[in-house]
Amino acid sequence: MAIAIGWSAGGGGFGVAWAPTWDLRLAFELDGLAALYGVLAAGIGTLVFLYASAYVPRHLAHQERSRREEARLHGAMVLFLVSMLGLVMAQDLIALFVFWDLTAVASWLLVGYDRHNRDARLSALMALLVTAVSAVLMLVGILMLRAEYGTVQLPELFAVAQESTTVTVAVALIAIAALAKSAQVPFHFWLPRAMAAPTPVSAYLHSAAMVAAGVFLLSRIHPLIQLDARLLDGLIVIGLTSMAVGGLLALGSRGLKRILAYSTISQYGYVVTMLGIGGAAGAAGACFYVLGHALAKSALFMTAGAVTEATGAKALGEVGGLARRMPLLAAGSGAAAAGIAALPLTIGFFKDELFFKAALDRGNVLGALAVLGAALTFAYMARFWTGIFLGAPKGELRPVERRLIWPVALLGALVVVGGLVVGPFADLARDAAVVTQRGAVELEAAYHLDARAENLMAIGAYALGFALFASGRLLGAPLSVFSRLGHDLGPERAYNASIRGLNRLSNRLHDIEVRDLRGRLIAVVVPGAGLVALGVAVTPTDGAYRTGALPAADVPLVVALAVCALAALAVPFCRRHLLIALALSGVGFALATTYSLMGAPDVALVAVLIETIFALLFVGVFALLPRDVLRREARLRAPRSRKLRDAAIATASGVVTSLVVWSAFSRPVPREGMSDRLSALAPEAHGKDIVTVILADFRGLDTLVEITVVAVAMIAVSLLLRGKLRG
Amino acid sequence: MTSSLTRMVARALLAPILVVALAILVKGYANVGDGFAAGVVAALGVLLQVVVFGREAVAAALPLRWAPAVALVGLGIGFAVFAVPALLGDAPLEHAPAPGVSPVHIGSLELITAVVFDVGVFLLVLGASVAIIDAIAAPGEGEQ
Repeated sequence: MAIAIGWSAGGGGFGVAWAPTWDLRLAFELDGLAALYGVLAAGIGTLVFLYASAYVPRHLAHQERSRREEARLHGAMVLFLVSMLGLVMAQDLIALFVFWDLTAVASWLLVGYDRHNRDARLSALMALLVTAVSAVLMLVGILMLRAEYGTVQLPELFAVAQESTTVTVAVALIAIAALAKSAQVPFHFWLPRAMAAPTPVSAYLHSAAMVAAGVFLLSRIHPLIQLDARLLDGLIVIGLTSMAVGGLLALGSRGLKRILAYSTISQYGYVVTMLGIGGAAGAAGACFYVLGHALAKSALFMTAGAVTEATGAKALGEVGGLARRMPLLAAGSGAAAAGIAALPLTIGFFKDELFFKAALDRGNVLGALAVLGAALTFAYMARFWTGIFLGAPKGELRPVERRLIWPVALLGALVVVGGLVVGPFADLARDAAVVTQRGAVELEAAYHLDARAENLMAIGAYALGFALFASGRLLGAPLSVFSRLGHDLGPERAYNASIRGLNRLSNRLHDIEVRDLRGRLIAVVVPGAGLVALGVAVTPTDGAYRTGALPAADVPLVVALAVCALAALAVPFCRRHLLIALALSGVGFALATTYSLMGAPDVALVAVLIETIFALLFVGVFALLPRDVLRREARLRAPRSRKLRDAAIATASGVVTSLVVWSAFSRPVPREGMSDRLSALAPEAHGKDIVTVILADFRGLDTLVEITVVAVAMIAVSLLLRGKLRG
Repeated sequence: MTSSLTRMVARALLAPILVVALAILVKGYANVGDGFAAGVVAALGVLLQVVVFGREAVAAALPLRWAPAVALVGLGIGFAVFAVPALLGDAPLEHAPAPGVSPVHIGSLELITAVVFDVGVFLLVLGASVAIIDAIAAPGEGEQ
């Protein structure tokens, strides 16, 4: 509500520079597009919250879980709502990416809410992986744009971007992320699986928020997509394919929520098609479509939840004849279903009218495909609603709270109001389309009682849809073949195969690396040493390995280094644990001395402190271990072959390291690096100690993050030691 | 039980260690040291007391149970120094006084916000280390 008021007051925006060195600004603006999606996310979110306050306690009671878990769902929903609002208002692609990933994380929490249920966990993981892995592509695209134009601010990008291969590739990468989020073919498989979520979550995420974020992003970057006609054509192809696949699967499914999930895929296919058609008609149609669909689809999801709560039925065929027993629900969901099916006197009629108009602009073929898509929609919606509410009554009816019913009725009423008084809805959509189109947009939505093309197409779609619906039994067999083919050969199979492959790879690495301490060290040290040795081998030896005179001033340094080397040599010859620990800290203290001799007193101080901590740690651990265990371990003798092998490895690594150091010091780098610039800046920052100035000023942000990590570590250690993390 | 000599040395060392830590902290901007080093030195001083006298005796003398709170206060100071300039319209973590402006002196000590940030780091490191020492030294459930 606040968003609507704010937008009618003229919008507005604000920006905070949060990392000026990288030209990153936290810029937000409540423009028309943000207002449309923000109103949907917040408005439908409010109704879903009310619905959830009745639904979730029942849900938890069914599973015999504690009422206290209710807070977890509401917390994640609030997180989702906030990140969605941030997403729609962000004017900076990096900020947009951050909010994008936040919505993915929140959706993972929400879909996997029934965490004891393996299926729910896997579904949540799938939703997270599909949307977050594709988001990495989006980040790559954003960085490509930044490399090309030096900015990630959307208004600036729109002003300077020209058609070029780089821009096309970058925008295509961003569009892939958007299509994955909107569950378009071939990424559509995660959406039906995500129906494992509790119904309020589905009603929210899969009608007005999560999947809407994808088409929102496409609308947001539409000025960049328009630069290349191939991208627009690609969107049309994907949109039409999704319409067909989603519609056919919806017509062939029986699960209530599953039908709605496939329907969502198909409906967002409409929107993507319109965004691909582009132009004023496409932009206006897309924005209006999102609005009409979100209202109706969230009502239908809530209907499915209420029906399941009242009868226990989760699929068509288990339920029937509810119209007389739950008249308010039947009326509300009837209006919503009519809205999706685009019957007159609902807001849906206009969404299809605009769709037909936009399609016709691009030619008759597209117009015909649009009619086919609308017919499919009519058929599966008719099947859904009549399957639940008409026919012979079946099953027991349990009483349900009124809060499960009236949000559906309210949304259904809105769908009808939108069909009668379309003005405010059209204005909201038009203002959004103006942002997408970056220019004036006419959005004309009205009833015309004449034989214009859109009307004829609508009538054709109803007729064809009714024919499909009436011949439902005949279609059953081919549709189930289609669905099985999709299941066996579709992208979900590729997803599962890659997950299994990654798991196997991870297990192999785990076996190699984590078997014992030796293996773990080898896994880190050997590849590192190999890389270093490779570097030594391929570096030209010209000018390297020089020797020079030893000035008297450097004698203390040499002595300190000699002590260090001697202490290191002593380590393998010590038998008792305490001696080994002392020899090791001897190495450390000698190194600290060399730091102080080489003009790095800050590093020396920290080195001394760290060595002290480690020495105390070792001594403390030895004091805790039983004496006889230590003595027995100290008496153990390694076999001769192992000793030889260890000695060979140690010698080889020592020689290579010496070579690296020697060659590095033979060719001192000219001192014109970051360090000099920072040193020159230190007096500006009122500091004389460059290290402290770097920590507290130049790299203060890093330090801030580091101390946060320390605080988190402290909390974790305390909890672990007090045994509070058990369970 | 530790020897009386150890105990005497440990008791005598506590105050100097804390003074050294404080010196490392406040002089850090002009001389060797910073908040992290100061925090570790102070924490080592506390550790010495815990090792020599036992946790119970130290807990009676020093406010060990406030350590987590001290750490969080330090973190809060760090975030305050980060956020306040952002609220005033500058970049986050912009330090005052600006380059070229002469800071206020107390003796040779300069008053600048970077030192405040370092105090936050010091409190966090000290508090976190002491909290962990305390948690380790506390008798577990199965012991006693």
